[in-house]
Order: sequence, then structure tokens, then C-alpha cells
Amino acid sequence: MAKYILKRLAYMVVVFFILSILLFGLFKMVPGDPARMLVEGQKMSVSPEEYEMLYQQARARLGLDKPLVMQYFSWFGNLLSGDFGYSSIYRIPVTELIGPPMKNTICLNIVFYVLLFMITVPLGIKAAVKQNTVFDTTVQVTTIIGISIPSFITALLFIFLFAIKLPIFPISGMVTTGANYTGFRAFTDYLYHLSLPVIVMVFAGLGGLTRYVRGALLDALSMDYVRTARAKGLREKTVIYKHAFRNALIPITGYVVGSIVAIFGGSIIIETLFSWNGVGKLLIDSLMNQDYTVALAMQMFYILLGLIANLVTDLCYCLVDPRIKLE
Amino acid sequence: MLKKGKKEEKQRSILEEEQMQSPFRTIIKNLCENKIAMGSAFVFIVIFLMCFILPIWFYQEMNYQDPTQKNIGPGFSFLSVPKELNGNAKAIGVGPTFGVGIDNDGVVYEWGNLTDRLKQIPADMGKVVDIAVGQDHVLAVNEEGKLFTWGFNRMNLNRIPAEVQSKKVKSIAAGYQVSVVVLEDGSVVKWGNENTVDIVDSKTKGENVKLVRINIQTGLALTEDGKLIPLAKRATAFDAVPDEIQGKVKDIVLTDKTALALLEDGSIVCWGSNDFHIKDIPEGVEGHVVSLAAGRNHAVALLDDGTAVAWGGNNNKQAELPSGLKNIEAIYSKYYQNYAVDAEGNITTWGLKGYLFGTDNLGRSVALRLLKGGQMTMTVGFVSVIISLIIGIIIGGISGYYAGKVDIVLMRIAEVVGSLPFIPLALILSALIGNKVSEVGRIIMIMVILGILSWPGVAGMVRAQVLAERQKEFVTAAKALGVREMNIIFRHIVPNVMTIIIVNATLAFATCMLTESGLSFLGFGVGEPIPSWGNMLNNCRSSEVISQFWWRWVFPSIALGLCTISINLFGDGLRKAVDPKSSER
Repeated sequence: MAKYILKRLAYMVVVFFILSILLFGLFKMVPGDPARMLVEGQKMSVSPEEYEMLYQQARARLGLDKPLVMQYFSWFGNLLSGDFGYSSIYRIPVTELIGPPMKNTICLNIVFYVLLFMITVPLGIKAAVKQNTVFDTTVQVTTIIGISIPSFITALLFIFLFAIKLPIFPISGMVTTGANYTGFRAFTDYLYHLSLPVIVMVFAGLGGLTRYVRGALLDALSMDYVRTARAKGLREKTVIYKHAFRNALIPITGYVVGSIVAIFGGSIIIETLFSWNGVGKLLIDSLMNQDYTVALAMQMFYILLGLIANLVTDLCYCLVDPRIKLE
Repeated sequence: MLKKGKKEEKQRSILEEEQMQSPFRTIIKNLCENKIAMGSAFVFIVIFLMCFILPIWFYQEMNYQDPTQKNIGPGFSFLSVPKELNGNAKAIGVGPTFGVGIDNDGVVYEWGNLTDRLKQIPADMGKVVDIAVGQDHVLAVNEEGKLFTWGFNRMNLNRIPAEVQSKKVKSIAAGYQVSVVVLEDGSVVKWGNENTVDIVDSKTKGENVKLVRINIQTGLALTEDGKLIPLAKRATAFDAVPDEIQGKVKDIVLTDKTALALLEDGSIVCWGSNDFHIKDIPEGVEGHVVSLAAGRNHAVALLDDGTAVAWGGNNNKQAELPSGLKNIEAIYSKYYQNYAVDAEGNITTWGLKGYLFGTDNLGRSVALRLLKGGQMTMTVGFVSVIISLIIGIIIGGISGYYAGKVDIVLMRIAEVVGSLPFIPLALILSALIGNKVSEVGRIIMIMVILGILSWPGVAGMVRAQVLAERQKEFVTAAKALGVREMNIIFRHIVPNVMTIIIVNATLAFATCMLTESGLSFLGFGVGEPIPSWGNMLNNCRSSEVISQFWWRWVFPSIALGLCTISINLFGDGLRKAVDPKSSER
């Protein structure tokens, strides 16, 4: 087990390293000179010689005077030691910049996943148990429709219905402007603004997970031990919830653990649409503002999340299912 | 005997049937029995054909823009003249999306796409004798020569200057947020937005002006003695009034870029640009013209025998006269709408009736963009699926056939690509590379990005299938015959797993369309002015658009949703047809 984890970790480091080279190279291809941008404002106020000196100083400060390979290694070294660079728009370190959006994204995603699992797991079970009935077909068709409609269309529709036609929820944003609530009132206000994005995300995610749960339970129900259990004369409820569902839980647990990692990555489209100041919005804003240090750091963050989620899911499978052997 | 055989066939299970029928026929049969799958296939085919065939006839220039036609709701009411007016019409004012008419009793009627302010017709006007319509405001003069205005009221449009209120009005004209009045003494007064239409009223000082004509850019004044005075401050094409016609002009009309002057002898003289062949006046017209009318890019001439001739731009059928026009007394044309009033006061209309799905913020028809956008979204989805299929089949095939170390290396690579967060990476690639290339290059880039990022799923599936097939006898036979290994993989094994590949490709097609739309929605996909279903939604994010201009997001959403739902339902049906055992567990 320990050996396997070590092997996977080593593999992760290699992948992360390769991807960091690729992305660093990609970002270096972008036209534009960050050092020039830093000193551009002073061009009028100082003499050309002084300006040139300031420019060279800025280059040295940003490490742009070194060869590309050296630049990469110093950047990657900083990355490993937790220094993600400096935002050229907000003029603060990326680590500081990422704090509040991260908190917002985590809040949004925790509420979202809790609701999602509470709805989809019972729905999926019921569809699988009642396989090939009208109920199952209805669930099948509606979930396909759910998968097919992109989240931004759901979002537009829900904003139209529940924020404009029936003004129950705020259209976007995170706090009531000008209200300056404190304490518990601020908390409820936050939840109030959180509701509509969460509802949209749950609706958009419903289809996929319901089908997943249904599939997992159907797989379990087709096993020999279920036939044996039925042959023994056990009650159908016992067969389904004690024998089949426990085995169906294996893939579902894998999904749950994967989602725990996914909590840290914000949904770009939803956060942009609802002006939810989260990680996803930070990434897209930094791209729009050409703040590439932040964009690069965010990208590496997303990649790391993906790799960790893979590893954790695999480990989780072998923890909950001893039949799976790690190699 | 025969009868009995038939009965048996009906009861056969799928396993038995496989012995009797080729798998391909079983698939088709299963698929045809699945009503949902067939219905959705039909829906998709209809959408597909509409998007790829209809634009041949219904077409709008990619760069077309028209500020006078922006944000118009769906409907065909531009030309629906009220019944009360028909048969009793005296004059008609044509607005960009609506019409205002007065009957012989001086009552004002309005129709078409009206704003709330336009509907507030002043009550105490008395008998109205003349009317002029701008972008979204109206001027009216009653029989005492008193002026009224309503509609759009910013830019001082609602404040009639003091000198106009105290004097009698001779003629009126209105344009994009600008009003012009000719007073009884022949002087011109202009008010409204200074920056839209370039008109300087002081240019007519000392002249006795008869009327003023305004187009989208500037205006021209015609004096009582037949002289023309360009009113623009900056130099325009309309300044080049031919000297020989000065003093002989009876009437003048303006399209966007061309001026057409009607001389006293019934002939027409044009100057300005020759867009839409507006200068090619039809034969047999010269010398017989009684009056002229012109829209944004077309002109209509009323002849002395009571018939009319139209020429110039015909993008909204505004130059296509209805048959049976005769005894016409007057023609009113502006923008893309035309009204012909005959001797009995009956009105015949032609031209732009409205827009099926409304227009967007640049005045482009949503319906036409929807068709073009569908082409784009489907093409991007299709090409990226093909790219991912090619890469996936090659890598999956090789990896599955050779197994061992090759398999490990290739599958690790697939895992790396597969674990990349999709939208963030596509966003970054599009933002970094997208700036440097043209619009078409950008679209190709999107296809390649989508294809390259989505092959691992295909590869994994192909690999699993090939792993299962490679132990079978036909592969051993091919090997024994000395067939090259590449041929064994791609000519012998892959065709055997093609059905499953097709099922997955169908589902991946919908996914790619959704991803493209998502990217375009965020502004990192297909760029303006090329439409796609995603980027049509891009500028619909503000609450103002969502609530007021609902047609701008509702129709693209429906099109995209309907398309992906039908593809997915069909793909699901196809999967069940290919692998019936999966649903018989």
C-alpha cells in the first residue's frame, strides 16, 4: 500500500513537472513585456536614461534578464515553496489574492454537493429498483435532458424566472449592496445570495449523478450474490438495501471522495454569471485582464486538484473494496 | 408449417435472434422500435437541415449592422395598418419599426413595434395634417400650423424651441434623435441630439426653404425656387449637388449614401455612391416620374400613369412591388417599409414586416444568426469529434493490441491529458493563442483544442474493446496469414468495434457542442461577428437583456438545448440498440 502510494506520488510529481513546463512555455509565448508595463507610467516623468535604468531594474526584479530555463526553474522553485508570484493588476501576492475567493468557492461547493447527493442518491436507487418501469424511463429521459442543457442556459432561465419575474432571489453578487450587515444577518444575507447559484448548479448536476447512481446499483443487482440472496428467499428490501446497495456504494463513495477535492475548484461559468467572487471567476478575470501570473498559478492549481482527485479516488476504491488490488 | 415458424420468430430472445440475423440488422431493428430515439433523430435531422439549407435563401451579411433595427421583439406587425385608416388615409410617416398615419379627419393612428412613449399620443392636437417620424419619436402639425411631438424624450427632443411654438410650421422632418422644422418664413430650426445626424440649420440663412429631407447621416434642404442646400457641417458625398440641376429640382430623397433629385421635367438625377445599384434607374422611368420615395438603400418612383417602380437594395424585399398596384396617389417609403396610397385612400404595403425571432443589439436578425450559428456550432462539434476519434482510435488501437509497455506509456499519457481540467485549459489556450490568429483561424484552433483534449475517453474505450477482440480466432488467422500488424489493428479489429465507437462518438458530439458553446458563452470561443449558439448568448448576461430582450437568449437556448437533447437521446437509444443485453440485466 505505502509502496503504491509512493509510486503514484512520484508519478504525480513527474506529470505535474511536465505540465508546468508546457504551461510555462505557453505563457511565455504571450506577446507583451511585464517589465515594460510596470515602468510605463513613469516614462513621461523621468529622463530617457533614467527610464532605461528603471526598466532594466524592473527586468532584474522580475527575473526577466535571465535565460528562459533559469526563469522556469526559479518560478517552479518558488511555486514549490508556496510563492505563486505577484499579481500585476492587484499588486499583491497571488497567495493573498486567492484567499477570499477560495473561501467563497468552498462555501458554494459544500452546499451544492450536500444538496446534490441528498437528491440524486435516492432518485438513482429508486430508478434502478424500478428498472424498465414508467418511472425509470421518465428519470432516464429527464436526466438525459438535464445532461444536455448547459449550465448557463439553466442559469439564464432561473435568473429570468426566480430573480426577475418572481423576485425571490438576487440576480447576482454576494452581498446586498449598501446594507452593511454584520453578524448573523450578514451570514443569512450571504446564504440568500448563495441560493440561486446553488439551485442552478444542483439542477445542472442532477442528471449526470442520478444516472451514475442508477448504473452502479444496476451493476450490483446483476451480480450472482443478489441472485443467491433472492434464491434464499430474502425479502426484496433486504436484497436491495443490504446486499446490492452496499456494493453499489463503492463507486458512489469514489465519486463522493472525488467531489471533496472538487470543492476547491470553482465552476467558471456559474461564478462568472452570478458575479460570485470565487476561484473560477478569479481565473477568468485574470485572463481577461491579462494578469498572466495569476492565470498561470490558477491553472497549476486546477491541474494539481485534478491529479490529487485521481489519486484520492483510486485510494478510496481500494480502501472500501478490499477486492481491488493495487499494483 | 410456415405460420408456425413466423410465430416462433416473434418470441425469440435477443440471444437467439443473433443467430438468425446479422448484428447490423438487429441494431437497425432495435433502433427503429425505440420511439424516443427515432423521434429525436428526426428532430436533429430537421434542425441540421434547417441550419445547412435555409441560409442558401435566407442570408444576412456577417458584418451587417443596423442601429435603427436593434433589440426589436419578434413579430410581423411593422406593416399592419389599422382597418380604420385603410380607405381613409391621408399621409403616413414611416419609422424604423413602426408606422404612424393620419386619416382625412386628422386622427392619428400608430402600428408596428411601438415603445411605451410612442403610444402616448397627445390628446389635444385637433386636426393633424402632416406627420414626420424619426427613430423613435414623432412630429405632427395640425391645421393651424401648430407643432406637437411625442415619443423618445431625451436629448431635448421633447422641448420644442420657442421660435417654433410662436410661428406657423410649413413642413417637418425627423431623423435619428433629431427634429427639423421649416417655418412659414422659410427658415429652418433643428433640435435634438447633436452627435447623430450632421445637420447645421444656419446653412440655409437667407433662403426660403420649402422642405428638408434627412437620412441616417445628414440632411438636404430644398428651397422654394428649386435649389438644393446640403446641411452637413463635415464634407459628405451629398455636397456634390450637380450645378446644372440647381433651380430645377422639384423634390429630393435620400438613401443612406445616395441622393436622388426629381427634376421638374420628371427625370431623376443621382449623386453619391452606387451601393445596391441605386443609380441604375430602370428604363422607361425617366420623364414620367411624379414623385419619389426612398428607404435605407432602395428608391421607389411614382409614375404619371399611377403605377410605381422600385429599385436598389432588396435585402428585406423592399424593392419588390406587389402586383396590381394602380391609381397610386402617393408613396411613403423609409427604412425598409413602403406604403402606397391610392385615390380612394386604400393602403398597399410591402417591405419589411418584422423579424421572426426579433433582432439583437446590433440590429441583426436573431433567426438568421441562429441558422448560421447552428452551422458553426455543429461544424465545430463535428470536426472536434472527428479529431478526437482519429487520435483516440490510433492510440487506443495500438495500446490495446500491443499491451505491455507500450500500453502503459500510452495510457499514462492519456491519463495525463484526461486529468487536465478541461474548461480552464481550453480558456487559457484560447486566450493565449487566440489573439494572434484571424477569426477563422480561431475557430480551427477551438476545434483542435476540443479534439486534442477529449481523445483520452475514446482511446480508453477503443483499448478495452481491442483487448477483448485480439484473442479471437480471426486475429490469429490474420496473423497466420502474415498480415501486417497495423492492418490487423485498423482493418480487422477496429471495424469490429466500430458500432461502439459510433455510439460514443454520437454522445461526444453533443458534449463537444456544449463545450464550444460554453467557451463561446464566456467569450473565449468563436468570436464576433461569426455567430455560434454560444456566443449569441454571450452578450445576454445582463439582467436588462434577460428580462427585456428575452428573445435574444430564449431562442438560441432552445436551439442549443433541443439539438443536444436530441443527439443525446438518439445516442442513448443507439447504445441500447447496439448492446441490448445492457438493458436486459
